[in-house]
Amino acid sequence: MIRFKQGLVLSAATALALLSGCDGGGGGGSSAGDTGGVVTPAPTPTAVAFTDGDAARLAKQATFGPTPALVARIKEVGVNAWLDEQFAATGSSYADIAAGEVRRDFCASGDAVCARAHFSRTPVAMRFYADAVMGQDQLRQRVALALGQLIVASEQEVNSAAGIAALNQIFLANAFGNYRDILAQVTMLGYMGDYLDMADSNKSAPSENYARELLQLFSMGPDQLNLDGTPVLDATGARVPTYTPDDIKAVARALTGWTYARVGGAATSDGNARDYSKPMIAVPARYDTTAKTFLGISVPAGAAQDASVAAVVDAAFNNASTAPYIAKFLIGQLVTPNPTPAYVGRVAAAFANNGSGVRGDLKAVVRAILSDAEARGAPGPNAGKVKEPILLMTALARAIGFSTDGYVFVTRDGGLGQPVMRAPSVFNFYPPDYPLPGSATLKSPASKLLNTSNVLRWHNFVYDWTIGGDATRAEFAVDSGLPMSSLTQPQWAGWEAFGADLDGMVARINLLLFANTLTQPQKDALKAAATPITNTDVLVQARKRAQMMLYVAGSSPLFLVDR
Amino acid sequence: MTISRREFVRLTAGAGALAAFGQLGRTTAMAAPSGSYRAMVGIFLFGGNDGWNMVIPTDARHATYLASRGSVGIKAPALTALTNTTYALHPAMSALRPVWDEGGLALVLNAGTLFAPLTKDTYRSRADLRPSNLMSHADEQAHWQGLRAREFNVDGFMGRLSDRAGASATPSMISLGGSNLATIGKTSSALVLPSTGTLGRNGFSGASGAANLAKNAAVDAFANGASYGIMTEATARDVTGAYGQANTANGILTATSAVDGYFVNPDTGAALTSDVARQLMRVARMIEARGTLGHNRQTFFVSQGGFDNHSGQVGGGNNDTGTHATLLRDLAMALAGFYKAMRAIGLAENVTAFTMSDFGRTFKGNAQNGTDHAWGSNHLVVGGNVTPGGIFGAYPDPVLGGANDIASDGRFVPAVSQEEYIGAIARWHGVADADMPYVFPNWGTWSGGGRGPLGLFRA
Repeated sequence: MIRFKQGLVLSAATALALLSGCDGGGGGGSSAGDTGGVVTPAPTPTAVAFTDGDAARLAKQATFGPTPALVARIKEVGVNAWLDEQFAATGSSYADIAAGEVRRDFCASGDAVCARAHFSRTPVAMRFYADAVMGQDQLRQRVALALGQLIVASEQEVNSAAGIAALNQIFLANAFGNYRDILAQVTMLGYMGDYLDMADSNKSAPSENYARELLQLFSMGPDQLNLDGTPVLDATGARVPTYTPDDIKAVARALTGWTYARVGGAATSDGNARDYSKPMIAVPARYDTTAKTFLGISVPAGAAQDASVAAVVDAAFNNASTAPYIAKFLIGQLVTPNPTPAYVGRVAAAFANNGSGVRGDLKAVVRAILSDAEARGAPGPNAGKVKEPILLMTALARAIGFSTDGYVFVTRDGGLGQPVMRAPSVFNFYPPDYPLPGSATLKSPASKLLNTSNVLRWHNFVYDWTIGGDATRAEFAVDSGLPMSSLTQPQWAGWEAFGADLDGMVARINLLLFANTLTQPQKDALKAAATPITNTDVLVQARKRAQMMLYVAGSSPLFLVDR
Repeated sequence: MTISRREFVRLTAGAGALAAFGQLGRTTAMAAPSGSYRAMVGIFLFGGNDGWNMVIPTDARHATYLASRGSVGIKAPALTALTNTTYALHPAMSALRPVWDEGGLALVLNAGTLFAPLTKDTYRSRADLRPSNLMSHADEQAHWQGLRAREFNVDGFMGRLSDRAGASATPSMISLGGSNLATIGKTSSALVLPSTGTLGRNGFSGASGAANLAKNAAVDAFANGASYGIMTEATARDVTGAYGQANTANGILTATSAVDGYFVNPDTGAALTSDVARQLMRVARMIEARGTLGHNRQTFFVSQGGFDNHSGQVGGGNNDTGTHATLLRDLAMALAGFYKAMRAIGLAENVTAFTMSDFGRTFKGNAQNGTDHAWGSNHLVVGGNVTPGGIFGAYPDPVLGGANDIASDGRFVPAVSQEEYIGAIARWHGVADADMPYVFPNWGTWSGGGRGPLGLFRA
C-alpha cells in the first residue's frame, strides 16, 4: 500500500512539473513535494499553513460537504496527501443492485413495493445518498456524480434499478481510472443501449441517437476546442464543428447490430427478459459490415463488430477537443463554472498526458483540478458555484450530522428540481453553459434550477430539516412499504453538547457552511436570533438554538454559493 | 385565406432573390393600441417534435408522404381532417378540430432556425450561412429561444421583449416550464411558477415579537451577497426577488377559479392531468388575474418534454398509437382547453399560443419505429385573433432527397425562419418597430430582405 501511494505521488509530481504556468499552489501549500521526500532531488518546499477555512473550502469542492472530522483531516495532511487517501478509498458500490436484474414481468400486477425495488431508481438513489452523507470515499463519489451528470441516462425513460446501478457502478469504479474505459463500458451497457437507442439499431436504417450524443455530449463536444477550452475559430471568426452529419451517419452504422443481453440467457426475441445491467450482445445480421469513414479514420469492410465499436470509442477519446471538453466540465462540477482558459489548459494537459504518457487518466485530471492555484488560491470576484439541490441536501445533512438509509432524500430531491439518476433528458438538469442571469459573460449551470418556484422549495426544505428537524420528524421514519428502508436520524447530540456555548455553535456553522468567511455582524446576528430561544432543559435549548441558526444560515444565498 | 410562401424555398440569398422577396410584401401587423390587453404563450416541445406527423397532407402528396416516411407514416383513414384544407392533424389531436372550425387555429409549415434565407443549394455551398451545430438539441434549443443562430446565446427573445416592456412589481414574463434561456433578459427575469402546488414560505412571519424580529434581522444579515463576488450577489438578488414574487402569485394559485373547469377531456369530461395541461391552466389563472397583477401585456413560457423519439415513436401497424400519439393528445387537449378558457373569460382574441421545438425529425423513419434529428418542422398557432384557416410557410417536397432535403433522409431546409414566425407574434403582441432589432437580433436580415413577419393575424 505504501509503495503504491508513493508511486502515485511520483507520477503526480511529474505531472505537476510538466504543467508549466502552474505558478505555485496558492493557499493550498501542499505541493507534491510535501509528501514526496522520498522522491529526492528537488528542494523541499516550505509548507504553507493550511487553515481550517482552506480545508473546509476543499471539502466543499471535493466532497458532499464539510464535517468537523473531515476538515480536521484535510488540514492535518494537506491537499496532496488527502487526495492520495481519497484515491485509495473505496466502499461505495452499487454492484449488488446491478446484479439483481429481473424480467420485466417479474412483479405481480399492482405490487408497488416490488416495482419500486426493481423498476425504479429508488434503491440506487437511496444508496447514493446514504453513501454521500456517511461514506468515506467522498471524492470518488463526487467524481462519479460529476461523470453521471456528463454521461446521462435516466430513470425517466428506462426504469431498471439494476441498469441504473450498473451505469453508476461504471462511474464509481472508474472515477480514478481511465476515461476511455468509461466511454467503452458505457457505450456497450444495455441500459444506455436502451436510453439512446444503440440497442437494436439495425443496418437497414440505423439510429443516430447514440452516435450523436457520444460525440456531442460524452467526449469532444460540438465545437473544436483549443487545449485551453476556447473555441477554434476559422478565418471568418466562426466556430468550427468537430464532426459533420456524414461522420454521425458513419458512426451510427459502425454501432449497428447490438441487442440486450437477456436475463438467464433467454432468447433475444424475449422482450421481457432484457438485462439492462450487462453489456449488449451482437446480432451479426443487423450489423453493417460495409466500410465506414468517420472523424478522419476508416474501418474496413468486414471489420468485426467489436472492432467497429472500439474504433468509434478511440476516435471520440482521442479527438483533440476531448481533453479540454472533459477538463472544463469536471472543473465546472467541482470548482467553478467560470475557470480561466489557463486553468482549463492545465487540467486538459493532464488529461492529454498524465506525466507518464497516459491519456485520459482521471486521477491526474482530478489532482490537477483540485491542486490548481485557481482552486486553492483566494477566490476572485467571479468565483463561485451555485449549489445544486443534491449538494444542498447533502451539505446540510453532513453539517448537521445525519445517519440515513437515504430514502428521505429520494422523497425530496424531485421536488427540489434534481432527482438524482432521473434527469429530464440526456442534457442533464442544466446545461454547463447556462448563463448567470444578468451577466453577459458568466456561466452558472445550477442557476437554471434556482427560480421563483424552486427558491421557495429550497427554503422550505432547509426549514423542515433544521427548525422542523427533530429526530421525531415524520419523514425521517421507516417507510413500511419499502423493504430496504431503515431510518434517517439527524444527530443533534453533537450540537446539544455545546450547551450554552453559542459562540462555539456559531464557529462550527461558520466553518462547515461558510469556510470561515462570515463577518462579525453576521455572527452577531446569528447569536441574536438564537438567544431568545430558551428551555429549562439545556440540551433542548442548545438543539433549538442550533436549529434556528442553521435555518438562517442554510437558507441564505451565502450558503447557496460556494466560493 | 391560405397564404402559401412556397416560393421562398426556391429563392437564394442573391440580389435577385431580394427583389423577389419584396414582391411578397410584409404583413401589416402593427403594435396594438395601448390599453388593450395581449398575451403570448410559447409552448416549447422539448426533444424535437415530429411535426411531420402532427400536420399531414391529405392530397396526392399523402402517398408520397407514406412512401417516404416508412416505418412511422400514418395512413389516411385515421387522420383528424381539417375542413377546407389539404392538411390534417395527427389522429390523437381531434380535440383541436373544433378550434379549427371556429377559426382559432393556424398552421405554420416547415419553420426552423435560419441565419439567412437558404435553399438546398445554398445550404451546401454556404457553410457560413448555416446555423451552428444544426441537429444538436442544446444548440437548436438555444437558437429557437435566443434567436442568434450563429452565436452563443446569453439571453432569449421573451426576456429581451420583457426588457422593453417596462418593469412591474410582479414580472409580466411568467414561466410554467422552469427557467429557460427564452426568459432571460438583459435586465428582466421571469416569475417561474410550479405547475402544481403552492408557494408558501415556511417559518417566515412578519410578527412583531422580539424573537421574530431577531430572526428576521439575522435572515437579512445573510440576504445580501454584495461583498462575496458577482455570483453570490446575483444569486442573492434572485433569491430575495423570488420571495416577493411568490407571495403575490401564491394568492392567485390558491384561490378557486372557473377557468380550471375548461381543462377537461372532451370525450370523457375528466379533468386533464398532463403537465402541459396543468401549466396552461395556471397560465389561464395568471391571465385571469392580469388586473390584480397590473399587467397590460403578458408573456408566458410553457414546456412539454419527451419528443426525442428515436424509437417507439409509433406503435407500429397503423402507426396512430405510441409515444408521440400520447404526447400530441395531451398537447391538443391542453390547447383546446386553454382556448375554451380564454373564450369563456372574453379574451380569446387577446391571447395567442404557439409551439416551438428544437427541430423537426427525419422524414424517413428508422428501423426502431422512430426518427432522428433534422431541421424544419410544422407548428401550431392557437388564438381568437389568428387568420381563420390560415396556413403559412410551405410544406416541403416529401420526396427523400428531393428539392428541400439536404441529405437523403428527409432533413428539410426550413421555408420559414423563427423571425418570420415568432416575429409576427411579437409584433401582434405590441413590440414597436424600433425595438424589433433588439428583441430579434437578426431582424434586419428578414425585414430588410422583404421577408417580414407572417400574416398570422386578422387585420
